[in-house]
Amino acid sequence: MLTEIYQIVSDNWLLLLIGQYPNGPLGGMAATMLLSLLGIALAFPLGVLIALARLSPFAALRSSATALIYVMRGIPLLMVIFWVYFLVPLLIGRSVPGFVTMLCTLVIYEGAFLSEVVRAGIQALPAGQIDAARALGHSHLSAMRYVILPQALFNVLPSIVSQFVSTIQETTLGYVINVPELTFAASQINNRLLTKPFEVFLILAIIYFCVCWSLTQLANWLERRVAARRAGPQATVSPAARGPSATRLGDVAREVGK
Amino acid sequence: MIKFSHVNKWYGDYPALVDINAEVARGEVVVVCGPSGSGKSTLIRTVNRLEEIQSGELMFDGQNVHAKMKGAQLNHLRSRIGFVFQSFNLFPHLSVLENVTLSPIRINGVDRGTARDKAMTLLERVGLSSKAGAYPGQLSGGQQQRVAIARALAMEPPAMLFDEPTSALDPEMVGEVLAVMRGLANDGMTMMCVTHEMGFAREVADRVWFMDAGSILEAAKPAEFFSNPSHPRAQRFLSDLRSH
Amino acid sequence: MSSLDLSAILMKPEFRGMLAAGFEMTIIVALSSWLLAMSLAIVLLVIRLTPSRICEGAVAAYVTYHRNVPTLVQLIFWYFGISSLLPSVAQDWLGQHNAEATFAIIGLGLCQAAYFSEDLRSGLRSIPPGQADAARALGHGYISAMRFVLVPQALRNALPALVNHTVSLFKNSSLAMAIGVTELTYAVREVENESFRTFETYLIGTLIYLTCSLSLMALGAWLSRRAKPAGAR
Repeated sequence: MLTEIYQIVSDNWLLLLIGQYPNGPLGGMAATMLLSLLGIALAFPLGVLIALARLSPFAALRSSATALIYVMRGIPLLMVIFWVYFLVPLLIGRSVPGFVTMLCTLVIYEGAFLSEVVRAGIQALPAGQIDAARALGHSHLSAMRYVILPQALFNVLPSIVSQFVSTIQETTLGYVINVPELTFAASQINNRLLTKPFEVFLILAIIYFCVCWSLTQLANWLERRVAARRAGPQATVSPAARGPSATRLGDVAREVGK
Repeated sequence: MIKFSHVNKWYGDYPALVDINAEVARGEVVVVCGPSGSGKSTLIRTVNRLEEIQSGELMFDGQNVHAKMKGAQLNHLRSRIGFVFQSFNLFPHLSVLENVTLSPIRINGVDRGTARDKAMTLLERVGLSSKAGAYPGQLSGGQQQRVAIARALAMEPPAMLFDEPTSALDPEMVGEVLAVMRGLANDGMTMMCVTHEMGFAREVADRVWFMDAGSILEAAKPAEFFSNPSHPRAQRFLSDLRSH
Repeated sequence: MSSLDLSAILMKPEFRGMLAAGFEMTIIVALSSWLLAMSLAIVLLVIRLTPSRICEGAVAAYVTYHRNVPTLVQLIFWYFGISSLLPSVAQDWLGQHNAEATFAIIGLGLCQAAYFSEDLRSGLRSIPPGQADAARALGHGYISAMRFVLVPQALRNALPALVNHTVSLFKNSSLAMAIGVTELTYAVREVENESFRTFETYLIGTLIYLTCSLSLMALGAWLSRRAKPAGAR
């Protein structure tokens, strides 16, 4: 089976990497990464804006932002894709390629989820920070810009990387509307070979695994860096660092011979 | 400088401040003391409107703090009132120098060079010019509080408010912060301090306000207050303090 | 655009029937995979708690795989890939008994089991160590301490995450459409194709999903409140 896998990869690596390009639109892994990077890059400022709207003193802003977030949390991504597929050509008057549909979907969907991440980061800051900023005379926006957001965004950096991993996984739904991304490329290979679905899709799974896993490791590393920075050099070892209850109980169990 | 006229505040049905009538004159140092829950912190936080009042009038340097006003006006008013918090609240993502220069630059429009020079002078005054490049996480509590004082002073306020500035500090660091506050008082700064440090009150305050259950029960010169308090609650408070 | 007319969809029995059948399939897929995921998650947790390094590694590998491979790819892998490895007898049997739904349930169930087991594990880990000490000091054995002290608290701590992942599972049932399961999203597409009333159909589908998801979230919030003893933070 390994030789078959090797054969498939060496025959089709170009298709998996860049799709039919230059004989067609950019596809494969390149399209997946482009979609994900553009998606998260555009979703991020949108997410910050939605988070600020959610925390704003104006009820109209607050309720619209909250409504958007709950809708995105409540309906499947596939439904959002169908809505965007239907509405965007209506709004701009001409048809759009699947890539653009997918991109718009990801920006709105991820924007809503990112806004929750940013909001959590803002609300996790000690109340004293906004008090101090207000006491010095900063306006709400000035306090956000110079004091709150720089801290909140740094603190949620690992979560943002996690959301990026989610975005990459969400690009696979482009397969359903024939966006030529990696999953679509793999299914094209499968349709051509017909007798090796297991090997083809195993390769697909492995590729996604490698990409997502490395990024998750990056997120974990960032999490450790951020936590160290937040604790400062005076952090002492707390009793909780002795270990969580369950493992301590395990120690106890072993010690007593259960 | 700071004038309370019939100020009342409620949290729902609970009376936090009851008919406060008092005044802090220009250049005066007033210490507010009392048992916990007496409303001392609430009182001082109404001066720069971090807390709202329901009735009465609070004047700061001739301006009505709790009048209906635009956000920008309130921000400007606040920038003229220095406030030092119990938990310091330094901005951890900025260096010590940046903490002190941020607000003069962004709010008062001071240019970078002038702000920097002023900041270094202030840091020297609080004894921390060597730590200008350090970050709050690298400083001790006492050092952080001194930076917080410098940060407030950088806005050149005519008055400074201190909300239990030493309560969160380890005992050996209390002295360094009180020394800075003493220096400010000697230089003629108008100060209102909520504190448990009775030694400071005795030596530095011009007057002591004793609060309990939201009212100022006694306002007297420190010498009188500590040796001969007239209100029975104040007498009990002082004897509790002495018995430790 | 012609005016909004929900009755064109809701009043026609064939459209109503298609949507209802789709919704029914969604519920079947979601519920079955939830049950599979929960049971498997508990098994995984128990395996992970044993002192063996091999068991810990195996479960960790399982979780890592299912969290890093996209759910759709997992479903495709099961339906196209793994099914091709099964003996033809099994394939025939599956073909007659709705293979698509079966593999969707298996795929979704196994995937979500990874998330649920991590939630339960976090719930366990977030209990302060003093709890185990106190249980031990009182004389509880391992099982007794787990049963009366630790697992109840772990479930309480894990509840928000479990609810979130349940809603995810419910939403992910729509992915089954890609391998041919005739669930709600599939039905919405079908009705839209036949009725040409895109907006109304999509709106109905959206409202159904929203109602279910928000109800699940509300149920979760209610359970959280009930599970909280008076005065707990």
